[in-house]
Amino acid sequence: MNEAAFYFIAAGVCVFAVMAVTGRDIFHCALWLAMTLLSVAGIYFYLDAPFLGVIQILVYVGGIITLFVFAIKLTANIGYKSIRQTSKQWALALFITALLLCVLSRVFAAHPWAQTVLNVPAASIAQIGRSLMMNYAVPFEFMSVILLAAMVGAIVIGKDKR
Amino acid sequence: MSVIFLKGLAVLGFIAVSAMFSIWLERKISAWIQNRMGPMMTGFHGTLQPVADTIKLLLKEDIVPKGVDFLSWWLAPFFVTVPVVMAFLVIPFSSKWIALDLNVGVLYVCSVTSICVLGIFMAGWGSNNKYSLLGGMRSAAQIISYEVPLLLSVLLVVMQSGTMSMQGIVAAQEHGWFILKPHLTLAFLIYFISATAEVNRVPFDIPEAESELVAGYHTEYSGMKFAMFFVAEYTNMFIISAIATTLFLGGWQGPFLPGLVWFLLKSYGLVAFLMWMRWTLPRVRMDQMMSFAWKVLTPMALLNLLISGWFMVK
Repeated sequence: MNEAAFYFIAAGVCVFAVMAVTGRDIFHCALWLAMTLLSVAGIYFYLDAPFLGVIQILVYVGGIITLFVFAIKLTANIGYKSIRQTSKQWALALFITALLLCVLSRVFAAHPWAQTVLNVPAASIAQIGRSLMMNYAVPFEFMSVILLAAMVGAIVIGKDKR
Repeated sequence: MSVIFLKGLAVLGFIAVSAMFSIWLERKISAWIQNRMGPMMTGFHGTLQPVADTIKLLLKEDIVPKGVDFLSWWLAPFFVTVPVVMAFLVIPFSSKWIALDLNVGVLYVCSVTSICVLGIFMAGWGSNNKYSLLGGMRSAAQIISYEVPLLLSVLLVVMQSGTMSMQGIVAAQEHGWFILKPHLTLAFLIYFISATAEVNRVPFDIPEAESELVAGYHTEYSGMKFAMFFVAEYTNMFIISAIATTLFLGGWQGPFLPGLVWFLLKSYGLVAFLMWMRWTLPRVRMDQMMSFAWKVLTPMALLNLLISGWFMVK
């Protein structure tokens, strides 16, 4: 029963992801991407990581996809139009992804996967916060610097040039 | 398994009845404020009016306008309604009546209700109507902007109680409601103003301003699809009131009466307050609304967070 639920959600992730990549209407693609990310959040909930699932929905669906949709609407001549699916270098891209698939599948096949689930206590939010602020304080602060740089860049690009 | 199923059914039943009752309450309150009678003919003082309305909406033809973007137009009502149902998972009606006490309860509610924006966008875009598109754009911009002060004020409650579980927050208010603490009073005001904007109620209902946009993003919807938007709107009102009750007004705690009664009294009290505001205040302009969110509410919420955080750490 439980495993069936997992495969159901995983199949949803795959189907929606394919739809997001192959769709012709860019607004629909954004919606399929939202469905993909929601299904991934479903997997997190299934795996007993509600914090991760909640953050996934809040950040990706509530934030990023909404910004995507905003950008699509505010860009002239992009909605309702079928845009070419492939770039000029699709052959090269296909080659690289095929190579990556080969390497990854060999690694996955060679790896000795654990057959039993370790009894790991679920990480509480307090623990996550503590490790972010103590063990990983430097990377955490570094992330905020990157975000700040991105924000400044966005403002510079969006500034009225006179 | 079957227990979860029954809980889900109970939530759906509650949503249907609550939305119907809220619509009746809204009409009665508006009539009272405008010195009218309101619905009187169906049942005692019009209590059966919402039932009649529901039957009417169920029987109405479902009109599909020409040129709609089929996928978004069909899915939009679900994207608006389903998150609202999902939010009920963690609302503590009493000490025992909670479907699942997640340890990230508050964050869960905020995240599932943020999905609604997509539904509003889809409705506005898919309807192929300029009024719908404008309404959808305005609504989405407004919801994203007011989400920032809303989350910041909720964060203060989490800091005060030290937990994100809904029952934990209620338990933390055993010796005094959070609204009575000065910094949390400010947080409550910021929360309530932002939440009013989140559910597109007057004075922040410019996305549905009848005088300029017909009915905003749901202009083209009819029959049951329109009813779904309506149910979502009124249930959203109940949810923000229920969250405010849980976070600031002591949740289901109260003397003499059972917890469930206290919870519903406080929540519907806030719903009635929202309706009172709707029929009293004028509508604010779009630019006023956006600048209020970014230039007043957000800095105030940040400052409040900073100062009270300082005192909590000290």
